[in-house]
Order: sequence, then C-alpha cells, then structure tokens
Amino acid sequence: MNAMHATRLPIWWVCCLLLLMVACEEADEEAKSNNYKFVKPRHFPAPTYNFDKNPITKEGFELGKKLFFDPLLSKDNSVSCNSCHIQSTAFADAQQHPLSIGVDNRVGLRNAPPLTNLAFMPEFFWDGGVTHLDFVPINAIESPFEMDEKLASVVEKLNANDEYRQLFQMAFSVDEITSPLMLKALSQFMLLMVSANTPYDDYILGDVEALSKEEVEGLSLFRQKCGDCHSGELFTDFTYRNNGLNTDFKDQGRALITESENDVGKFRVPGLRNIARTAPYMHNAMFTSLEQVLDHYDNSIQHSPTLDPTLEKGISLTENEKSKIITFLNTLTDHDFRSDRRFMNQQ
Amino acid sequence: MKLYNLLTALIIVLAYTSCDSDDQSETEAVGTLQLKFDHFVGTQKMELSEPGSIEFQYETADGEAFNISKFGYYVSEIILEGPTGEYYEDEQLVSALEVKGFYHVLQDEPSSRFITLSDVPAGRYNRVTFKIGVSESAVQEGAAGGVLDPAEGAWFWNWNAGYIGFAIEGTAQNSGQELVEGDGWTIPEKSFALHIGGWKDIEVAEGENQKFVNNVKTIALQFDSDLRVESALDPNVHIVVDLLKMLDGANINFANSYSIHAPKAGQPLAEVLPEVFIVDHTHQ
Repeated sequence: MNAMHATRLPIWWVCCLLLLMVACEEADEEAKSNNYKFVKPRHFPAPTYNFDKNPITKEGFELGKKLFFDPLLSKDNSVSCNSCHIQSTAFADAQQHPLSIGVDNRVGLRNAPPLTNLAFMPEFFWDGGVTHLDFVPINAIESPFEMDEKLASVVEKLNANDEYRQLFQMAFSVDEITSPLMLKALSQFMLLMVSANTPYDDYILGDVEALSKEEVEGLSLFRQKCGDCHSGELFTDFTYRNNGLNTDFKDQGRALITESENDVGKFRVPGLRNIARTAPYMHNAMFTSLEQVLDHYDNSIQHSPTLDPTLEKGISLTENEKSKIITFLNTLTDHDFRSDRRFMNQQ
Repeated sequence: MKLYNLLTALIIVLAYTSCDSDDQSETEAVGTLQLKFDHFVGTQKMELSEPGSIEFQYETADGEAFNISKFGYYVSEIILEGPTGEYYEDEQLVSALEVKGFYHVLQDEPSSRFITLSDVPAGRYNRVTFKIGVSESAVQEGAAGGVLDPAEGAWFWNWNAGYIGFAIEGTAQNSGQELVEGDGWTIPEKSFALHIGGWKDIEVAEGENQKFVNNVKTIALQFDSDLRVESALDPNVHIVVDLLKMLDGANINFANSYSIHAPKAGQPLAEVLPEVFIVDHTHQ
C-alpha cells in the first residue's frame, strides 16, 4: 500500500526531497567537523602555531583529550595533565593547589598557569624556556615534581594498550605509537582552547551595552595603569619582568634560560583572560586575591637590581580605582569556555 | 574530420611529452658519496670505558688524565660542492612521521658513523659542509620522530627545549664531581658530562648584553683531491674527529668544568668545533 502510494508522488518532488536530505546531512557534517576547526577570533593576533604541520582532526583532538585526562602519563599512574589544569579554572590549577602537586604528593616549584589561547603564544612556561607547544608536555611528564615519568616509558605503556593503538591508527594512520605523535595529539587538544567569548570581547567587537558604566571605567583605568605590560587582546606583551615580589630569588626565572644576571627574578607577563578564576596569582602563588595583587603594585613593590623600571615607584591606585579595575577584570571570564563540552572528559 | 585531427594532435603531444620525460631521467645521472667519521683522542683511537671507571687512557695537554664513556653529536644540513659548480644539498625533513637529513653519530653505534648520501648528481666534488647540532629551523618544527625523538634516544633539553648537539661524558682524575645518587640513577664520583646545546640566534638589542648562545656550528672541509661521483663508483670521505683538540682548544680543566648543561658554559667548546673535524683522506 505504502509502495503504491509512493509511486504516485511526482518524480521531481522525490528528487527535491532527496536533495534536501543530502544537503541537511552535509550541513550537519559540516557543523560537527567545525567543532574541531581552529578559528582565530577576529580581534586576536595571528597564531604562532604552524597548523600545516599538525592539522587538527576530530580523531587527533579526541586522542589528545584522552591523553590529557589519562594518569598513564605519570610514573605511578596517579597524575594526569588534568590534575593541575582544570577546565573550571580555565585549565589553571585548583585554588587549593598554589603550587602543582605531583606524584607522591610532591610539591612543584611554580603555580600551574591556565592553558588558554596557547596557539598565540610565542613561548611557554613562566621562564619562556620552551618555544614550541609540542614540547610543553615533556616537561610535565619528566619533571620529578610532576609526573616523574620517562617519555620512553609513556610510549611503551601506550603501545601496550590496544585501545590507544587503535586511536593512534585512526588519528595518524600508524601501527606504532611514537612520542612525537603523542605530543602532536596533545597539541591538537590544547590548540582549540581558545578563550575569546567574554563581555569584554562583545564590547570590543562593537556591543557598547556589553559592559556596564563601571566596567568601562575599569577598562579605561586598566589600560592607563596596567596596559603597558598587559597589552593587546591577550593582555600580555610576552616580555619577562621582575615585578617586585621579593629581593631574594631562589627561583631565578628568565635567567635560567638566558643565563644573564640582568634577568634574575624576571617572569613572563601573564595574560589575564579568565583571571578572576585563576587564583592564586604570580609564579610563586603568593597572592590569593586580585585585591592583594593590586595592593602589591600600589604599595608593596620590593626593590632589587632587576626590578622593572616602570615599577620603581609602584603603581599608585586609590581604593576606588582598584575596585573598578577588578570589576573590569571580572569581564574577562569566559563562561562558555569554562563549560565547553568539547574539553570535558566525557565518553 | 575536425575531431579526428584534434585527437591525432593530442596523441602526438602526449607521445612527445612522455618521450621527453624518459630522456630527462637518463641524463640525470646520480651516484652515492659516503662520509665516514672516526673518533680519536690525540693519536689514539677512541675506546669507551664503563661510566665511573677510574682507569684513564687519555691525557689533556695540561696532563689531566681522563677516559670517555659516552661520545657523539648530530650532523645535519650536509652540502657537497665541486670546482665547476657541482652542488648537492642533503634533503632536510622534520616531522613526527619522518626525519631526513639529521644523523646522530654515536661512538657506541658503529653503523651511525657512516653517512651515505644518495642521489648525488654525477660530477666532481671537493668540499663538504655540515652543521654540528640541530638548528632553529628544525627545533621550531616541533615534535619530531626518528633520531630527533627523545623517547628513542634523541638528546633533548626539556627545560630549554632544543637538542644537545655534541656530548662527551667520562671520568677524570681531577674532576670535582661528587657521587650523587637519585631514584634509580647515579652520577659517579669524578665523572664529567659536557653537553653542548643552545640554538637561539637572536641579535643583541642595543644597550643589552648577549643573552642567547647559538652553539650550532658549521664545519667546512676541503677534500685532499677531487672526488668523482658516478653510479658505478663508491667514493668516500674519511673524517677524523679529534676530541683532544676540543678539550685542549677550550682549555678544559676538569676540576671546574665537569658539568656543562647549559648553552653559555658550552660555548668555549662549541667555538673550537671547526678545528676538531678534519678530512684525513678520501677514497675514489
């Protein structure tokens, strides 16, 4: 009966229907695959990562995600990347871990930074010792304070795991897992961690209603008082500076890399996106609130030979100005990013 | 009729092009050339000792007794040149799946001391240049496989990401190194480890001190006579690496210089690298 009925439909109508179905399917496919496409926010600088050498695919990204959440990367299978980089804090560490906690509860040396907008960074870590995103995870894996594992052992463990062998086959068409492919997969996962969807961004892109009057005043004050170092849409000029936290530098910072005494006690000017969610602050996690940070710049700068010249006299701020700046800094929180399902450990 | 003419023309053109490409491959004659690296300490052939061994076969010009337990380096960016414009550049490829043109020469891996260059255009050659170390262009390609994979024995600095271009380890009578025991590893007493790395080539800003040290060095060697490359020939260049020239050239004193693991400390050793490699002889 149904078949009979179908034969009565005009042929052009069936054709149209078929075309429509195909088109819809294509649009769905497109939308799905777009989730894995790197999109540069139009107000952001050009990315530093060379995507031609490591094109992001669904399989590569999903593999990178699995690795990111897998404690197999650590010596005793107890610590994953996610242990110190949590999505709700823009992939910075949890507030109760001022310094990262590795295997055997070993305490790290510095505060784990957020992992946002890594595709745009010229250098990585507080001291800038790594110049390519692919090489970043090796430090966490092999640091005795973090995962305390050998890269070769990780590769061995992955090769002994049938599921991983299958996933690497799907992502990179290989029968054998190697460290560069593992690192490329982790890069693919991290490269899509673009955070650019905040009230501030709406405002900058033309929606004048996106920020309140007080937030706009805060933005203006921020640019005037903090904008020399925290410049551009990533809120960093990518330089290394001594911002007067102390006078005795157990952690030499940038000087570890440049081997120059002029750089002792200098650390990377951090970007400030999601800053309200990434406490505690500074490489040594010495401040627990933004109020403390601004108080420091206002009246607690410690003088030492490498202190940044712009901070000789500190940054004079009234309580009212501090409050407005903090109000503005809160507009840099990207709630969509913090709840983006692509980055969640769901199967 | 018109269509027939067109088809005929097409067939002629196709036939002609295919003949042309055949001709080309015949005229492009190629051959191989082999570089062989032999390691010496002064006049003695290098022999490796067990790490921590206190039997010292060698001595510096200053009379410091030492032995070697590990020795090697990266060779990359090899170029051959001839007296009448012959030119061959070894292909460089850095990717996760494949690495070409980078050679990790190791004293304890005899096969690594032979580098065979293939598809060298036939002709006469009298000069080879190569780099010791892995330069910026390769480091900035990111994670790489093969001899550049740290999980497969590549020499890599994690903290100051880049490759160690040249390394010497051993024990010396005067070494200031004390015994260090870690979790599953030890640094033997009186041992030394000299690791030369550092690739950042950044111009010094006005009013600033030189901050970065590029220890990737170019070695240029002239052959003792022209070498002919042809498909039927098997020419090779025998290169001698004299470690003593390096230690003496940089005035290494093991009492102080027993642990070099950063670019600046390795600079004096890197500076003398061009004198450490010499062409001993060539075989036609």
